[in-house]
Amino acid sequence: MPWMNQVTADRVKREFKEVEVERTKHTTNLHVRQEKLVDLMLHLKEKEGYKLFVDHTCIDFPEKKERFQGIYLLYNPDANERVLVKTWAVGGELPSLEKVWPCARWAEREAYDMFGVVYRGHENLRRMFMWEGYSHFPLRKDFPLEGIPEVELPSLTELYAGRTDPPSHDYELVHTRVPTLEDLERTEKSRLQKKAQLVLNWGPLHPGTHGTIWFLFDLDGERVVQSDVILGQLHRGMEKIAENVYYFQFLPYTDRMDYISAICNELSYVTAVEKLLEVEVPEKARYVRTMFAELQRINSHLLWLGTGALDLGALTVFLYAFREREKIMDIIEGNAGFRLTSAFLRIGGLHYDLAEGTLDVVRAFLKDFPNRLKEYHNLLTRNRIWLRRTKEVGVITREDVYDYGLTGPVARGSGVPYDIRKLEPYAAYGEVDFDVPVGEVGDVYDRYLVRMEEMVQSLRIVEQCLSKLEKLPKSAPFVNKEHPAVMAPKEEVFMALEDMVKNFRIVVHGESAPPGEVYASGENPRGELGFYIYSVGGSKPYRLRIRSGALYNLSIFPKLIKDGTIADAIALLGSLDPVVGETDR
Amino acid sequence: MELWLSVLITFVKVLLTLGVFLGISTYLTWFERKLAGHIQGRLGPKLVGPFGLLQPLADGIKLLTKESVVPQNADKPVYYLAVVMAVAPALLLFSVIPFGPSFTLFRYEIKPIVSDVNIALLLVFAFGSLVVYGTIFSGWASNSKYAFIGSLRKSAVIISYEVVLGFSVLGVILLAGTMSTTGIVQAQIERGVWFIVYQPVAFVLYLFCMLAESGRVPFDVQEAEAELVTGYNVEYGGMRFGVFPLAEWYLNVMALSAIAVVLFLGGWSGPHIFGPVSPYVWFILKMFGLVFFVLWLHWTLPRFQARDITEIGWKVMLPTAIANLVLTAVLVYVF
Repeated sequence: MPWMNQVTADRVKREFKEVEVERTKHTTNLHVRQEKLVDLMLHLKEKEGYKLFVDHTCIDFPEKKERFQGIYLLYNPDANERVLVKTWAVGGELPSLEKVWPCARWAEREAYDMFGVVYRGHENLRRMFMWEGYSHFPLRKDFPLEGIPEVELPSLTELYAGRTDPPSHDYELVHTRVPTLEDLERTEKSRLQKKAQLVLNWGPLHPGTHGTIWFLFDLDGERVVQSDVILGQLHRGMEKIAENVYYFQFLPYTDRMDYISAICNELSYVTAVEKLLEVEVPEKARYVRTMFAELQRINSHLLWLGTGALDLGALTVFLYAFREREKIMDIIEGNAGFRLTSAFLRIGGLHYDLAEGTLDVVRAFLKDFPNRLKEYHNLLTRNRIWLRRTKEVGVITREDVYDYGLTGPVARGSGVPYDIRKLEPYAAYGEVDFDVPVGEVGDVYDRYLVRMEEMVQSLRIVEQCLSKLEKLPKSAPFVNKEHPAVMAPKEEVFMALEDMVKNFRIVVHGESAPPGEVYASGENPRGELGFYIYSVGGSKPYRLRIRSGALYNLSIFPKLIKDGTIADAIALLGSLDPVVGETDR
Repeated sequence: MELWLSVLITFVKVLLTLGVFLGISTYLTWFERKLAGHIQGRLGPKLVGPFGLLQPLADGIKLLTKESVVPQNADKPVYYLAVVMAVAPALLLFSVIPFGPSFTLFRYEIKPIVSDVNIALLLVFAFGSLVVYGTIFSGWASNSKYAFIGSLRKSAVIISYEVVLGFSVLGVILLAGTMSTTGIVQAQIERGVWFIVYQPVAFVLYLFCMLAESGRVPFDVQEAEAELVTGYNVEYGGMRFGVFPLAEWYLNVMALSAIAVVLFLGGWSGPHIFGPVSPYVWFILKMFGLVFFVLWLHWTLPRFQARDITEIGWKVMLPTAIANLVLTAVLVYVF
């Protein structure tokens, strides 16, 4: 995807004299003083067509005077161009953009939570993932990876028997803080406005939330007056971890974000890293990646279909969907060795060559699956009850899509053909033929139809990859081991001295990436999963920001469910399809 | 007949009905799980006993031996009363169902119905309405928001469908000219035609009401696992929990199916091909046909939301039922 072109940049420069345009190798950055930030953003949104808010985050530079740099990533859907806007937080403060893009609210809360940057004019600047009352900011560079040991947590033995001599255990008692029950209750209570209202708690553990999201609904009868989403129950600090491991070591962590579409996550990640390291990927690897990403997409959509239907009471669809899921899982397991968090891709290629017989199995699956899809359609698509539950529920307009940074099937359900696979083809998506289905109304039913059609399109892509792979010779390379930053396959490491030395060097010293910044994203089943890597050289990213599609898609939930019922909430949440591993990271 | 003898006979009949239908409903759980399994491409229970036949027993033992936690702020008397209120009306419904023609045993005429009263259908409505108390009590007394919302939904549904049920059945009463269940079956046998032929609309309406009253899919809003965990019985544990689905899903469904058989499907009438037990066999077969239909729907359809159910109940079904009733009344008057 191209970045902001020269003409536009000059136009912006004429309008805003002090804006500096910086062209790096992979991005175009606009530097602006923060007093002018809101004006510039409004200008970019309304005059230049940079309507879609992709992401916002901060980077911590402890040695600089202002220390925190805010980064905004915008996208122009008409020109298909991105731009990065950077500004320094003077005195640890930035202006809030919630008036320009409502979804900036959550991104800003996250930056506040992680860096302690205060946003002027933010209506609800609370902790996003950490709990209320936590006093540290984990993504700051001076926050140690293991946390700050400050709370004494006694062992169970001690609780009953008291201190013993010798002590009952040999580990340090002082531990980093964990939220207590009081902390959680404080979070809940601070959100309740009035007394004597019926507040329904959904979660953190509730069958309807598909994970560990915590919803609070203020009810009037069954009508939802207002709702809150409390995230962070699955927050593992992925971005902090990424800063402390080598590029190749972070790959398995990406599996654990959106754990239902692990290979898609890996693909987005390796695309970003390969862009930074400038690694060419062999043809075979590209096609295998595409094929598996699409199989994974079908897999993920099947899970969405099954659980979504289960939520609406259609108990049988769930098992029908899982029957097909099992077959895809077997294909993935046969190749990667794992079913869920597969870690199949590698920087520069794949971990293993295609297992014998894979192509036949996939071919059989391709033949069988359209009939199964027909079954799902028979059960649901024209079902009157299903229509009644999904039509006109949770309508998302096109403006909402841009204002809330919605991507993936949620955006396409509202008629916005935003599909990274088409707009910025990665892997082999540029070489295969497929359509991007879009909805018209933007209700739950349209999103349902879009996802169902996406499965058909995925089948088409898999089919084309399959034909291509069948033509390629078996001995075609599946990893670009010529590149100095790419590890050789394991069998060769045992046999060849050079490969062993090279792998040894990478494992010990890392890939040594060039300095620079890169944003690359992939079209995941849950929206655009982007990786923004800021490298200052060395083998670890200085900052790795994960742009989660699920998080932004979820951010529209409180708006949509207002004046709906609890039963609508479940249908709506199913259609937004968040996965907590990715929203919380 | 002497009083003591008639009391004894009634007592035996009560015991027999209770034993048979509690037993059947227990095995209906096995049947439902097996059916669900096959609908969903699985096998269902198969490990406990041959074909998993001992599964209900194992379930019962598990439920009985489980710890039963009563919520701290529960309204205890009402909390316990809810269990009774859930199961009693469902059982009482069986008291007015005639399972066969009367026969003579040791010179005494015995009617295979617990109490052959001439206002049997009124009793059916009354017991049907009583079911709602079990739900409301359990929702209110458990002091849980999920249970509370679930029970409110359920009572809204029952109240609206109660009315439709009444109007849909009135047509049959007009045709038969009696409210006695035995009388209705006799009327059908005398005419040689089942009332479903005269009252197809009423039959369909009755089926809907049956699903709504027993809380089966697509009307299982009170349970709605995904939204309300399991709704009104979420705070009950052990056998107390087990009683709710037993009463609602099995006893109620069976009783309402049996009444549908009486009203629309000619009761025990049918060709005498099974010898002396023929009427009973026919009755049970028809009843299970309906029960099977309900189970089948349960594992196929999604669920409505409460708002839609009441809306359909008041705006579509009630006018249809009234129109049907007026039409029937005019036709009965004319012919």
